[in-house]
Amino acid sequence: MILPNYFLADLPPEATLSPQMIQEACQTLKRNREQYLATRSTPQMVKLISELAENWLQPDYPFRQFALEHGPAATGFAHATLVRGLDAFFQELTRENLHTLVVHELGHAHRLDEMCATAAEARLQRAAMVRGPELLVHIASGNIPNPTLLSIILGLLTRSAQFVKCSRGASFLPRLFAHSLYEADAKLASCLEIAEWRGGDIALEDPLFAEASCVTATGSDETLAAVQQRLPKSVRFLGYGHRVSFGYITRGVLSGFGVKKIVVRAAEDVISWNQLGCLSPHLIYVETGGSVSPDQFAEKLAEELSRYEVDEPRGQVSVEVAATISSRRDFYRVRASASSETQMWSSDASTAWTVVYEADARFQLSCLNRFIYVKAVASLDEALNYADAVRGQVSTVGIAAQDDEAQALSTRLGRWGVTRICPLGQMQNPPLTWCHDGRPALGDLVEWIGWEQ
Amino acid sequence: MTTTSIFSDHAARLRQFMARSLAAPEPSATVLNETFSQLALEWFALQFQHNAAYQAWCKSLEASPETVAHWADIPALPTSAFKELDVTSISLAERTQVFHSSGTTEQRPSRHFQHAESLALYEVSLLSWFRACLLAEVKEKVHFLILTPPPSSAPHSSLVHMFETVRRELGSAQSKFHGAMDATGAWSLDEAGLQAALQSAMDAAQPVMLLGTAFNYVHLVDRLALEGKIFNLPPGSRALETGGYKGRSRSLPKSELHQLIGERLGLAAEQIVCEYGMSELSSQAYDVGPVGAESSSQQARRFQFPPWARVSIVSPETGREVQDGETGLVRVIDLANLWSVAAVQTEDLAIRRGDGFELLGRAVTAEARGCSLMSANR
Repeated sequence: MILPNYFLADLPPEATLSPQMIQEACQTLKRNREQYLATRSTPQMVKLISELAENWLQPDYPFRQFALEHGPAATGFAHATLVRGLDAFFQELTRENLHTLVVHELGHAHRLDEMCATAAEARLQRAAMVRGPELLVHIASGNIPNPTLLSIILGLLTRSAQFVKCSRGASFLPRLFAHSLYEADAKLASCLEIAEWRGGDIALEDPLFAEASCVTATGSDETLAAVQQRLPKSVRFLGYGHRVSFGYITRGVLSGFGVKKIVVRAAEDVISWNQLGCLSPHLIYVETGGSVSPDQFAEKLAEELSRYEVDEPRGQVSVEVAATISSRRDFYRVRASASSETQMWSSDASTAWTVVYEADARFQLSCLNRFIYVKAVASLDEALNYADAVRGQVSTVGIAAQDDEAQALSTRLGRWGVTRICPLGQMQNPPLTWCHDGRPALGDLVEWIGWEQ
Repeated sequence: MTTTSIFSDHAARLRQFMARSLAAPEPSATVLNETFSQLALEWFALQFQHNAAYQAWCKSLEASPETVAHWADIPALPTSAFKELDVTSISLAERTQVFHSSGTTEQRPSRHFQHAESLALYEVSLLSWFRACLLAEVKEKVHFLILTPPPSSAPHSSLVHMFETVRRELGSAQSKFHGAMDATGAWSLDEAGLQAALQSAMDAAQPVMLLGTAFNYVHLVDRLALEGKIFNLPPGSRALETGGYKGRSRSLPKSELHQLIGERLGLAAEQIVCEYGMSELSSQAYDVGPVGAESSSQQARRFQFPPWARVSIVSPETGREVQDGETGLVRVIDLANLWSVAAVQTEDLAIRRGDGFELLGRAVTAEARGCSLMSANR
């Protein structure tokens, strides 16, 4: 398959973008939106997106095949990691889920199409509709492709023209998705632009921001601040800062036959997107006092990661990443040689996976790429005490707990400040209705128009 | 023999090796290799026996003097061990000095313990290789302009100790420290004094040698740029720069820094020399070889340790030595590290170039504690 030059990201590497190209692309997007996108209905969009997602799940779909064939070289993720990540993402995009998303966040299935009223609104003799941004600009982060693809989906639902600015070397999957959209509906795809440059290029970004109605950005706090500061006042800004996540396992589930399942789930959270997303765990807190102790759990997790390496290998990393992992391993090996409070298990003759067990429960950021900490705690309160350094920056906690414990744990976590709690093993698979950083993803994009009848 | 005399005996033999390896005529590579190999294995056996932290490390790797037959297989102790453990054979009572790593970003510095005898060996190592690489053609004392604070302000800096040793043993009477340390521990330059010294060197047409860290030089060239000043140092002058910014100034690519130093001080590229050293080691590498050896200016500049310290560049992925031209982590076996541990695994990335290396810098977020959320960035 050869991808034609439909998008800026398709241009050969030697082609240089100019401010004028960006400005013209934005104006074309807006014109095309007026003509081809603004008039579409929500059911039409839902049908199109869900059918496209279904295609992506088919083994013989050419774009999927292309992604899996060339993805390892283009993204650094191994074939199996891409399969796992793409499947998890596209399985969520069903007609039903998309419909639920609209109703869940906007209160009414027709909200994006016309003035409408829920029963409660009708009683108050009110109606409302919402309007998406005319030109939605995404400053995408380079870590993993899912958030960028989701941003595009949401923008399609709000019928916005979209300009997706990818990080250097990170446009491969967004670009492929855009091509698949082009094949499904070329007119719709003409309302979408994908480009790639190193963030902070003021000459290119100024015209982009000048044309934008709303800008979303994912990245470090510094990146977000830099983008926001350069936006014209009239442009709405939605920033998603880097977040960290962790796992929590209660002693109650660490006995009997269930243990194996928990270990597998923990391993799946570590291998999904090689742990590189904000939703991936940096560490897993394990309660003491179960029939499997935290260090025993760590050892089992190591065995599981070793098994996964056979079928879903982590793949190559840069020498800098390998050096970081190797230096960190050395650090913990030194500790382990001096004290049994630290133990480490790691892949032989590679940096493919590492498990560090520490009795010291202070929250520790991982260097990722399948490097996971297991730490022992007596209770959730103790874990949260030790995690105080990252309080307010935690996105997801994946929990493994007995049914009668889960409610109290979740409430406690919510009060403490996390924004998402899910079963261990599902950390990288948020539902479509997930509130990104605690905010309604679709709801934050739109403006409301109220009608008092 | 007592433990003390065993170490003294080893030190004496190393001094002999140092002297012989740099004497004319230069010994053959075979002789150097054999002697180095023999000493390295003996050092390993000695350190394994007398250094508890190192022994525990070796045991965790299932290595011991019985299992290691080649010097390249001697277990290298990570530099992070110098932060966590007492990596020394010097008893608590005998320790008279400790060198700390200088990183301001690190919560816990490395500690390299010393006593009179270990410092004496350190100084022989330093001075022999410094002379061979930088002063082979210089007979008279050198006028050093040192950009760091003096030892009285920075008693635990191995770099300052190095410069002080060089000043004391090789420097002329005017040689001086032109740096100071403020209340926050930040290093600054005595700009006026330094500029006066530069000016008088020019007036007298006497060459000088500047010694400083990369960020010292940034402070200097930024100030000179601000004042619009350019010095044209007399022929034979040089600047020795040792890497690392540690957040103490804006950081520049090496080529850019050297260009600025060259412009502001009137030095050609070959008059600017880089040093690679660390508080955990007792020998240094320079990116100019000893004069008289194969001409280093013909090749790309690469760091070389003296014959009593050998470097290997190992793949962080596999732990094996990389091929020439490939990138890996710097590992050093420094025999002058007699009372601590000779085989040290650093966190620095470098490209292997023959028996030397081209430095790339520290692997990011190598420090485990206290790293920022930025490590979540890919």
